[in-house]
Amino acid sequence: MIVLEWLFLTIAACDAAEPWQLGFQDAATPMMQGIIDLHHDIFFFLILILVFVLRILVRALWHFHYQKNPIPQRIVHGTTIEILRTIFPSIIPMFIAIPSFALLYSMDEVVVDPAITIKAIGHQWYRTYEYSDYNSSDEQSLTFDSYTIPEDDLELGQSRLLEVDNRVVVPAKTHLRIIVTSADVPHSWAVPSSGVKCDAVPGRLNQISISVQREGVYYGQCSEICGTNHAFTSIVVEAVPRKDYGSRVSNQLIPQTGEA
Amino acid sequence: MAEAQTETPPSLSEQYSLKEKAEKSDVATKVADAEEVENSASTSSKEVVTEEVETPAPLVESTEVPPAVAEENTEANPVAENSVEDAQVAAEESNERTKESSGDAEETPEIKLETAPADFRFPTTNQTRHCFTRYIEYHRCVAAKGEDASECDKFAKYYRALCPGEWIDRWNEQRENGTFPGPL
Repeated sequence: MIVLEWLFLTIAACDAAEPWQLGFQDAATPMMQGIIDLHHDIFFFLILILVFVLRILVRALWHFHYQKNPIPQRIVHGTTIEILRTIFPSIIPMFIAIPSFALLYSMDEVVVDPAITIKAIGHQWYRTYEYSDYNSSDEQSLTFDSYTIPEDDLELGQSRLLEVDNRVVVPAKTHLRIIVTSADVPHSWAVPSSGVKCDAVPGRLNQISISVQREGVYYGQCSEICGTNHAFTSIVVEAVPRKDYGSRVSNQLIPQTGEA
Repeated sequence: MAEAQTETPPSLSEQYSLKEKAEKSDVATKVADAEEVENSASTSSKEVVTEEVETPAPLVESTEVPPAVAEENTEANPVAENSVEDAQVAAEESNERTKESSGDAEETPEIKLETAPADFRFPTTNQTRHCFTRYIEYHRCVAAKGEDASECDKFAKYYRALCPGEWIDRWNEQRENGTFPGPL
């Protein structure tokens, strides 16, 4: 275990950031899978270019030597190489751009009707979540605040500065619409495993549509400097099976209707 | 917020007023069967778009209520493979709910996975105007058809799903004061 930790190969049970993490978190949505695939696609070209450029650079440095090559070559023109070094650098960005734009627009597009709308409203420094699909009046609403658990109150096994008191419960394998907005300063609602990072701007409603493919607890943090407690404004999404979601929500709705 | 919404282009409101009139004439022709209207109120965008198509046959729809709702549910969530059973349950639940919503709201609310549909007028990330438009649509509908017209319930559901509660409260206040910055 310690050896694994030396190699930065810690085994984490949850979809949260881990110490010295270099790669992505596991994908929970098709969107994040697409992002990871695009990253790998681009890295193919990146490595290719890196190796090629390094080879030229090192070779030039190696041979430019006053003893081995006292008289350097004085080529200033070369039609063939000029054509090649113009054509190839213009083709390679095309190979990067095509998958990149495809992913960009597929992430933006809302193809299917979502089944649930959740409103994530950023505050200094907590988040309010509203589930208003089940309302029958303007007053009644399933609304709760989600605060980060302070360091002193953490229980064993909870992640520092990631755990919150009220998690956002969403059904898995369902199309969700998340409306992100803010009540004071710009915030950002980001959950890396679901490939979501959406700015919360006061006076504006930003929509993201995700579909979480597996049950689990996903952690994220505020991603826009929003003030003193920016670092203490975390996000926890808990994906549960559809059946459980219904009972969770109706259990929370009963006291709400009792008050109203 | 209020400043941002004041410059509503007139083209938008004209567009809606036309649509409202068309819908109104359609609705006026059909008999306001309570159950049938409830069902149309609890459906998704498919019905909103194809309302003209479905209104000529209101009897057919009212006779086969559970399958119709089940179909709509599967359409709304094409990914859910297990949705056939769920949809049947949901259909029954929705029937119960339509009854109880007409009665009292004190009973345990049934959870049905349904929300405001994706609107082709607002295909972008920015949904601010979607929320505002749905709010206006509801209040125009109420103004046209009276306070307890059940056709307007779906618009109420849509704007409640989309708008933050704080905004709705502020707009309600502004409407009472007569300072609401929109075409009502």
